Amino acid sequence: MNQVVKQMLKRVLISSLKLVILVILCLPNTVNHEAARDAIGADLGREAPVHCDIQRGPCTKHLAGGMTVTLDILPKPVKAMTDLKFQVTLSGGKPVRAAYIDLGMPRMDMGPNRVDLRLVKDNVYEGEGVIVRCPSGRRTWKATVTLPETGKVEFLFDVIY
Amino acid sequence: MSSIDTLYFVFLVTGFTVGFGHCIGMCSPIVVSLSLNLKGKSVLIPHLLYNAGRVLTYAILGGLAGVLGSFTILTSSIVSLQKGVLIFAGVLVLLMGLAMGGWIPFGRIFGDGGAGSGVLSKWFRRLSAAKSPIVYLPLGLLLGLLPCGPVYTALLASVRAGMGAASALEGFFSGMGLMIAFGIGTIPALLLVGKLAGLGWIKSRRLIYKISSLLMALVGIYFIIQGIRY
Repeated sequence: MNQVVKQMLKRVLISSLKLVILVILCLPNTVNHEAARDAIGADLGREAPVHCDIQRGPCTKHLAGGMTVTLDILPKPVKAMTDLKFQVTLSGGKPVRAAYIDLGMPRMDMGPNRVDLRLVKDNVYEGEGVIVRCPSGRRTWKATVTLPETGKVEFLFDVIY
Repeated sequence: MSSIDTLYFVFLVTGFTVGFGHCIGMCSPIVVSLSLNLKGKSVLIPHLLYNAGRVLTYAILGGLAGVLGSFTILTSSIVSLQKGVLIFAGVLVLLMGLAMGGWIPFGRIFGDGGAGSGVLSKWFRRLSAAKSPIVYLPLGLLLGLLPCGPVYTALLASVRAGMGAASALEGFFSGMGLMIAFGIGTIPALLLVGKLAGLGWIKSRRLIYKISSLLMALVGIYFIIQGIRY
């Protein structure tokens, strides 16, 4: 009898474990993590990322050390799945090596999408890239401008699908 | 290791990580539907064939991206097809859900027999009654066209790899190789979901089938709406 109960408990435990794994795997489809984390971040008083209105014009952020990074994306309106020109203007310093932009969605792995920047005139760097479309309908994208050995800044903005 | 080899490795790893995040979120309803459709039969071969079909489609798209050298030309030419495939996937998951729950008037299109005489019900019966799992290969080929953000990112990299190639043929194979690496990377996650949803390990199948039916129907409707809005 004892053996039968043990066997039953073992089966229930294994089945529950498998069910938990299945639920964990399916959960990302049902929960809006972005909204949840933003809400948690707001509650903790964490600094909210700058949400720049790239459709209206360039956005500017400051790096530690007094350097200013301005990002613009052309042409307007900024649409996903079209060829775009990314323009970065720096003031208060120069990058040691070639700067670049990593494009992605906040808290959603979309794969590596890098735009390499080249100097086109004094303090102005440009590169070409594409912002891809997410079929989920989410439109907020993140551009992380990296200036090697100097720092990086993030710009959050909405694109048009 | 050449730069293209490094890129293959990067996209193999990207496929793996994206598989366990993005793909599980977006594609698990389809994969779960396929597993449930197998009704206790072995899920491994059908899922391998489904994934092979998906990767083959990625490979063709990657090759085309490598040759064309333009992401926007490629994607704008397949956007209508992708929209159709998204709606088709929604209809597929919705009907499978409704049929599995026994909520559609033309009888169970799942499994054995059924009274349906429509094209769809015949097609579903053929799918579920097929002795050879080979039918899952064309399904994978078709569903490989589903619009997907990380697939677009990998295609973008294929375009860049093609642009850096010495000839159109080299561009074709560079783009193709990159998409194959990405596609193979996504397989473990979807195979795992397919295996777990095989339901061979669940004792109270009746209840699970009912819950799954409802969830599948809802996901199917969501896919159809997204497809119409795409």
